[in-house]
Amino acid sequence: MESLLQRIVQTGAEVAIIDITGVPTVDTLVAQHLIKTVTAARLMGADCIISGIRPQIAATIVHLGVDLSNVDTKATLADAFRLALRRTGHSLGRTPTRSEG
Amino acid sequence: MDRIPILKMGPFLLVTIQVDMHDRLAMTLQDDLTSRIADTGARGVLIDISALEMVDSFIGRMIANIAGMARILDAHTVVTGMQPSVAITLVELGLSLPGVRTALNVERGMSLLQSFLDDSDPLVEEPSPVDEGAGAGPEE
Amino acid sequence: MRAPVPVLKSDELPIRSSSDVVVVRQLVRTRAIEAAFSLVDQTRIVTAASELARNTLEYGGGGRARIDVIREGVRTGLRITFEDKGPGIANLELALTDGYTTGRGLGLGLGGARRLMNDFQIESKPGEGTRVVVVRWH
Repeated sequence: MESLLQRIVQTGAEVAIIDITGVPTVDTLVAQHLIKTVTAARLMGADCIISGIRPQIAATIVHLGVDLSNVDTKATLADAFRLALRRTGHSLGRTPTRSEG
Repeated sequence: MDRIPILKMGPFLLVTIQVDMHDRLAMTLQDDLTSRIADTGARGVLIDISALEMVDSFIGRMIANIAGMARILDAHTVVTGMQPSVAITLVELGLSLPGVRTALNVERGMSLLQSFLDDSDPLVEEPSPVDEGAGAGPEE
Repeated sequence: MRAPVPVLKSDELPIRSSSDVVVVRQLVRTRAIEAAFSLVDQTRIVTAASELARNTLEYGGGGRARIDVIREGVRTGLRITFEDKGPGIANLELALTDGYTTGRGLGLGLGGARRLMNDFQIESKPGEGTRVVVVRWH
């Protein structure tokens, strides 16, 4: 957690995406740790988006009664990235290639 | 008595806390800032705490009080530069800072305060994306 | 608490004014750094000490703090004891509840200190004063 928050300071990142695709299970402790990280980042002035939440993990979180209503979550990293871009006032556009010209 | 200096930057006031404040100094800052907002008609207050290695419930309350009084005087408050270990400790302490926006650094904080100024025109309603075109919008 | 643990270093400081609270914070920070606590742990310890020192001043009418570097087996800890001869706390359970305050504070001092430290012990009787002992271990 500390290293993520340090990186936010170093890079001046306004949005941090925490991807938990590789996390096999989420128990109460992990969930609370994530919430603490997001809350701390917010206190510093940065937003977090948690991505890579598989259906089983979503079910576990609900089952555990953990309240993630104040945390932005997205299923995929791509969705999280798109949200992050919107948040920071950017958008992804297409530049026409020559054949489309 | 020692005082923390308050700088005026256009419509905003800037405070940089660089000392380990004793409670009386914090109370003085609270009073000084409120007076300055009222005297200058400042529209925003930026409190930079990048040098603070600790924020306890007293300082947290001071910040929340400043934000509360600033709001009554029609000014926004932004706190900048909170250190990671301070943020983590505040979360564990159970302290939230209601009514206080935060930014990573002074530059971002100033942009944020400026954006509040740009957005503020209470007589005109911004159209929401859904009914764009259907409602009245600000004149460009 | 337990059997007395070896004390490697000990300091005693008076808490009689708000500047004394700052002195306590600064010495606690110094000892925490010397005991090689991480930056986050240092901040936790100093914040807890600040809350408790303030309580000693505001509610205890002043008192003292003792800062001990202790060792238990292979682990090192920082133990801070806050004592006052003030009015004491009538309802400890209530006092430990977040948001409860008899003063103008946020009511997070005791509960907050307990959350930030590993060990927390409080003794208080109306008319006999208050003693709070907190420890943060490596």
